[in-house]
Amino acid sequence: MTLRGATPLRVALAGNPNVGKTSLFNELTGSRHKVGNYAGVTVETRAGAVVARLAPARPITIVDLPGTYSLTPIAEDEAVAFRCLTGADDQPPDVVALVLDAANLARNLYLAVQLLELGRPLVVALNMMDVAAEAGAPVDPAALARALGVPVLPTVARTGEGIARLVEGLGSIEHVPSDTSPLRARLLTGDDAVPPPPGTELARWRWLVSAAAAGTLDLAAPTADERVALAALAPAAVTAAAHARVIARYREVDALLAELGFTAAQRERAPAMTRSAAIDRVLTHRVWGLAIFVLVMATIFSSIFTWAEPIMGAIEALISWLSGQVRGPLGPGVFTDLLTQGVIAGAGNVLVFVPQIALLFLLLGLLEDSGYMARAAFLVDRLMARVGLHGRAFVPLLSGYACAIPAILGTRTITDPRDRLATILMIPFMSCSARLPIYVLFISALFPADDRVGPFTVGSLMLVGFYALSTVSALLVGAFWKRTALRGPTPPFVLELPPYRLPRLRNTLLHVYDRTADFVRQAGTVILAVTVVLWVLLSFPRPPDAPPVPVDVDPVAHVEPDMSETPDSPTPPRDEDSPIVHSIGGRIGKAIEPALLPMGQDFRMGIAILGSFAAREVMVSTLGLVYGIEEDDDDQTSLREKLREAREPDGSRRHTPLKGLAAMIFFVYACQCMSTLAVVRRETGAWKWPLVMFTTMSALAYALAVLVYQVGLALGYT
Amino acid sequence: MAFNLAQLELGARARVTLVGGSGALALRLLEMGFTPGTVVLLVKRAPFGDPLELQVRGCHVSLRKAEAARIEAVLL
Repeated sequence: MTLRGATPLRVALAGNPNVGKTSLFNELTGSRHKVGNYAGVTVETRAGAVVARLAPARPITIVDLPGTYSLTPIAEDEAVAFRCLTGADDQPPDVVALVLDAANLARNLYLAVQLLELGRPLVVALNMMDVAAEAGAPVDPAALARALGVPVLPTVARTGEGIARLVEGLGSIEHVPSDTSPLRARLLTGDDAVPPPPGTELARWRWLVSAAAAGTLDLAAPTADERVALAALAPAAVTAAAHARVIARYREVDALLAELGFTAAQRERAPAMTRSAAIDRVLTHRVWGLAIFVLVMATIFSSIFTWAEPIMGAIEALISWLSGQVRGPLGPGVFTDLLTQGVIAGAGNVLVFVPQIALLFLLLGLLEDSGYMARAAFLVDRLMARVGLHGRAFVPLLSGYACAIPAILGTRTITDPRDRLATILMIPFMSCSARLPIYVLFISALFPADDRVGPFTVGSLMLVGFYALSTVSALLVGAFWKRTALRGPTPPFVLELPPYRLPRLRNTLLHVYDRTADFVRQAGTVILAVTVVLWVLLSFPRPPDAPPVPVDVDPVAHVEPDMSETPDSPTPPRDEDSPIVHSIGGRIGKAIEPALLPMGQDFRMGIAILGSFAAREVMVSTLGLVYGIEEDDDDQTSLREKLREAREPDGSRRHTPLKGLAAMIFFVYACQCMSTLAVVRRETGAWKWPLVMFTTMSALAYALAVLVYQVGLALGYT
Repeated sequence: MAFNLAQLELGARARVTLVGGSGALALRLLEMGFTPGTVVLLVKRAPFGDPLELQVRGCHVSLRKAEAARIEAVLL
């Protein structure tokens, strides 16, 4: 029976990556948990209550710490674990549950030694007992418990075996301090070359010394006194002390292993890796490995590029059906428009990303859990290192060709914050699928389909050119940031290639749900708000003799702040009469026209650019509204003709190929996507980087479009 | 120049003697198990020649050559 009202026992779950910690957490909490973020870091922790089914003697809440090899705060995930365990931000946990991989104690025990130094009540869940036995290196839990001086409970998290015993052990350990452990006494004999200042625990001090040696002291959040004490030490002494500490801990690990009956030769070999090494003979082979890598990446890419398409279409259809349902009973009016074109369209703008995000995270999660993602990083690291990035940046960048939103969310697999930010700043340059309708519109409207260079049409060559341009630009931008604001020591590429394992679908699906829900909650609110603001800008004030708003809603693209705004008159109006031209947005378009002329664009394009802030492809429908056309994205025939036939008062073509090219160059670079900015805001925790991104990309877009137009004019084109 | 792990031949083993330098990388390498006395085996090189896949303390760990060069060792 769970005792209602009793103070819950607070347990922190620690362990190396790939030891089955997530499976164990999900078993303990019945997959119900909350995702938490520590201030200033992107690493998440999850917290949940142990389910009643496991019959805890009293309520237990579990915090799942990030998987780490060590608690030395060198990177953000270790810093989160360190801060939680030392109670830097909150009460320290009552009990620490350490998950050890029984098949890999030679490295796993290092973390156990560090936790023993800390001295909190400790319970070891000795996981993967089955794997260790299979690999011919069984571990006796009782012997390990004797050697460590703390309870050791065997578990097989995949099957749930041993979980109930673990819960029982957690509940009864609280009053058993781990300082009865003889090993702990050995670890804390004060042989430290640099002893702690008064008031600082020895274990905490050792971690601070290590963080100081690594140059990451800020991550450890030292007190002012501790900072002063560390600053008084010679850097060489700090480094020597930190190194000596690691070596001393591993000496204890080796002693433990000897006590458990492992010979030096057994310690060296990797029995759990035998099968994985055989798989790797193909998967990281210099020919087959790369071929399979390309195949896997192509699958990921097409999943977010094409597989998500039908689901997105269904969401769009649902949204316009909903608009129709609301519009019918409410009748025409401003309030109806606010609901349908602002709120419902805004919700659609958020939901339409969900299929891509969910699919990407499903595939990434399966690949990560199987162990393949580490191999993928291993295969392409050489290429990514040239830009100054980690091999793990490859997949997010590739995803950027489909859509920047899931791609930016996918950068969470990059642990170094500087690398992660550099990758986030690169992604919006990758030519996403929303730019395609714009390219297609201008190319088909302004460049004759039978214009050929050799076997290729001019249009297809331009399209390839835009993709190449966007890729090269992204790489240059990454190299630029890595050499300027985000410069820093190349983050260590110390990557474990874990044993291959069959991923557990439930764990992955939970992760997909967490990510998607976070997107809808956090970035979604911004996207919704901006959609409503854009709707207001492009709808008000209405022209004086505004005809009644048409009742029909075209089942069109997901992001129409202003789709059905055209007058329902029998003869198409001149574009100056379109309601949109009279709106605030229209006036803004006219006001900025002088700035647009150098890049060959007029106020009509100005309005379209403004509207496209909702999403790039909306540029097409907004331009359509300016020309008094309302129609589907898939059939732009009449808009194409309008663009082709529009004439200036002097009879010359309004939209020339050169002007079209300048407009397309603008859209290659411009960050015309509020959703991207909202997601970057969410992922970086402040408006600073989205603002930097928007201003630099817009400035670059403008400068290059002007350059193209002016050079074109100088060369005699119009 | 002392022998270092970047110079290992495929399938060859070496015993670590020293992790050189200071900073986060040196500490990370030590914490991943490249402590003096540990025996390391070169399992594989990535298709473009870098990074390396090393067996250390029952795990397979990938290091760039530049990082492996920080670890001095004696060939076994």
